[in-house]
Amino acid sequence: MPKRLLMGNEAFAWAALTAGVRVVAGYPGTPSSELIETVARLHRDGIARGVHVEWSTNEKAALELLAGAAYTGARTLFTCKQVGLNVASDALMSLNYVGVKGGMVLYVADDPGPISSQTEQDTRRFASFAKVPVLDPSTPEQGFAMMRWAFELSERYQTPVIVRPTTRICHSSTFFDVPDHTDARPVPDEGFVKDKRWVIFPRRSYQAHGEINDRLPHIADDMAQSDFNPIATVGTAPHLGIVCGGVSTAYAREALRLIKQRCSDAGCGLPSYRFIQVGTTYPFPQQAIEPALDGIDEVIVFEELDHVIEDELQRLCGCTHASYNVHGRLDRTTRDRGENSVDDCLQRLVSFLGLPGNFATLQSAADDVSGQLHDVHAPMRPPVLCSGCPHRGSFYAVKQALKKQPAVLCGDIGCYTLGNAMPLDAVDTCLCMGAGITIAQGISVADPGKKALAFIGDSTFFASGITGVVNAVYNQHDITIVILDNSTTAMTGLQPHPGTGQTLMGPHSDPISIEQMLNAAGVTCITHANPHFLEESVHAATEAISYKGPSAIIFKAPCMQLVRPEQPARVDTERCTGCFRCIERMGCPALAKDDAGTHARVDATLCAGCGLCADVCPFDAIDAPVRDTGRTPFDGMRKGK
Amino acid sequence: MLDVLIAGVGGQGSVLAAKIIAYTACDAGWQVRSAETIGMAQRGGSVTSHVRIGNEGEDVYAPLTPKGCADVLIGLEPGEALRSLPLLKPQGLLVCASTAIPSVASELAGDPYRTDVVIDRLCEVPHHLIVDDHALCERIGGRKPLNVIMLAAAVQASLESAACGDPCGFGELFTIDSLKVSLEHCVRERFIALNCSAVDITAQAIPVTSA
Repeated sequence: MPKRLLMGNEAFAWAALTAGVRVVAGYPGTPSSELIETVARLHRDGIARGVHVEWSTNEKAALELLAGAAYTGARTLFTCKQVGLNVASDALMSLNYVGVKGGMVLYVADDPGPISSQTEQDTRRFASFAKVPVLDPSTPEQGFAMMRWAFELSERYQTPVIVRPTTRICHSSTFFDVPDHTDARPVPDEGFVKDKRWVIFPRRSYQAHGEINDRLPHIADDMAQSDFNPIATVGTAPHLGIVCGGVSTAYAREALRLIKQRCSDAGCGLPSYRFIQVGTTYPFPQQAIEPALDGIDEVIVFEELDHVIEDELQRLCGCTHASYNVHGRLDRTTRDRGENSVDDCLQRLVSFLGLPGNFATLQSAADDVSGQLHDVHAPMRPPVLCSGCPHRGSFYAVKQALKKQPAVLCGDIGCYTLGNAMPLDAVDTCLCMGAGITIAQGISVADPGKKALAFIGDSTFFASGITGVVNAVYNQHDITIVILDNSTTAMTGLQPHPGTGQTLMGPHSDPISIEQMLNAAGVTCITHANPHFLEESVHAATEAISYKGPSAIIFKAPCMQLVRPEQPARVDTERCTGCFRCIERMGCPALAKDDAGTHARVDATLCAGCGLCADVCPFDAIDAPVRDTGRTPFDGMRKGK
Repeated sequence: MLDVLIAGVGGQGSVLAAKIIAYTACDAGWQVRSAETIGMAQRGGSVTSHVRIGNEGEDVYAPLTPKGCADVLIGLEPGEALRSLPLLKPQGLLVCASTAIPSVASELAGDPYRTDVVIDRLCEVPHHLIVDDHALCERIGGRKPLNVIMLAAAVQASLESAACGDPCGFGELFTIDSLKVSLEHCVRERFIALNCSAVDITAQAIPVTSA
């Protein structure tokens, strides 16, 4: 078996495939998306045999589909990001009562920071709320083993099991041995077998709740006997305990290695301590952890997001009449939010171990600078819409069409959330998937003096926009829905969706038309434009905005990641007056002032050649060659995914 | 431990460069962990690739390099090298391309990106090599192989540094030849020749003089 460099998400995919997973479904969301993409690629290449893999319309659809598959005895894998589990939670809460036959693992990726999410919610907490077991890997290698074990555990107790990595596990890579091919475990011959337990009903739920409560202690014992809660004692008779969860385990281990080196360099002894990883957080593996705290007086807990392990240790301490003190997020001995790091663990461990403060110092090449260069800093590179991104033209045109009319621009989840940045400044609200359309309705009801508009991308529209549209028509809300259709799920890495017709299994389905969906829901005023063309876009926006009642604009042009760039635009310095309207109104990354600061300049390597800046320039000083060809910018997709 | 960082802007190929380093280290039997820190945007955002290599059975724990722990920092863009500089050891090796990628955000905020000042700042790092990547790319015929050019430049700078009695470890792991072998693992077949010639041209332009 050749060694292959696999990203965490790829490794988890391989782990599930080697465990015989038969049906894999989910909805894209950073940092989880690469798992399904890996399964799809291995299926396409004939390596993962017998597997069905799909991007479902949203997380709820995916989990319900998998529940059906698991009832037949198939091994199933669900994937999403942490907030995706909120969408699927209705199904999950009940499914744990109903139970599964084939093993079901929910791969739910949490995002401390958060780096690319709305919340810092902790899926370990969700697991205990749902009474579903959860495994929390510290490395991709441990996660690989956990994923395989999770299927066994799921089948042993007929319960869904959550595997919860975090961003740094999902997106870090290491080498793995992988087989030449994998085979999905066949579904038992009898397939779906009728049984009362598949129908949730209050009386059955009462009984099922008892079954859940009975099995959790057994699961906790299995977890305590697993390899996933390793304990190591350094020195003799330690009074200090270091308890970690997830990737913080790796951070603390590395910080402790630095500390050991520093103690050795300074010729002082390393204090004794016991190191404990809690890799199976819920139900808490008390049998493994309780004896490990024997003789310990002070405990520090490193975990991210919520204080889950900390709470369990406080409870354990009380239940067992122990006398150790537990420190962590609650008393701010560790960070109460955001990511942990080696640097941060080093600071806190040096203090916890009672070592000199200078043991925590990390010197770097950035430290020593001569006086005048002290303030030199890196250029700002906040996330911005790409050059050639169709959303830029859509936002700009809508704002042009509104002129000075008071309006509230409700945004949604996707690349287009970046429309909030200056200079576009075109997102006034953003809450959760699909919420823009419904928030706009609330604003139109409560503040009718302002025009309420809702921007939503194509993938988000299918995932959770449709119910909002139906509500707008049914209750006759005066809103304008702006569909930003770039023919992909761009932000999470260009996944297909129902509007593209591409499936992960290969055959194309007929693309589902957003316009027909809007029509069917009863939206009668629907206008269209290619957002790279300013005039037609402003015209389409003006017509929809002035309509009384629910209306829609469909801005359609492919994501620039899907197309080959056109010839870059050029600035005619004779005509350019240096008004910088192109730079200051659109914020395109390919536009900057020239070195003298007198004219606009197009960076030819960054420019996608869409030509929008040519439309925006009031002096006709920008020439986009594509505009001379008479073709629509980026029509069709020539690069393909 | 050998910690290598590659700092650039999305689309410059830092992830591929990290992969090439990882495969070379793995071929040499060392443990590797790599990771990227990426912003939300698809393109144009800062990307720093961390490649952490444990030699002689040493465990690599954390996926990201802590402050002041990187042995080598390869900058594909000066501003990005500066951003990652706090991760470089005080005596670590900085190898950086001189061509800047503009930042419209800095422009809009009235804090324009002054490449010359940033490069002056980078030149204060004790062990540094600023590479005229523009000239090399002109000779090679395109900016695509920038990542490979900078890997080759790092090999040469590291060998030079080692020859001067200041090894950073990178030149022990990599040679110009091993770089070409790893390229064949990691780059699509039709791009291998282009990338290998980029390696040769760079090695020629940045000779190891102290050897």
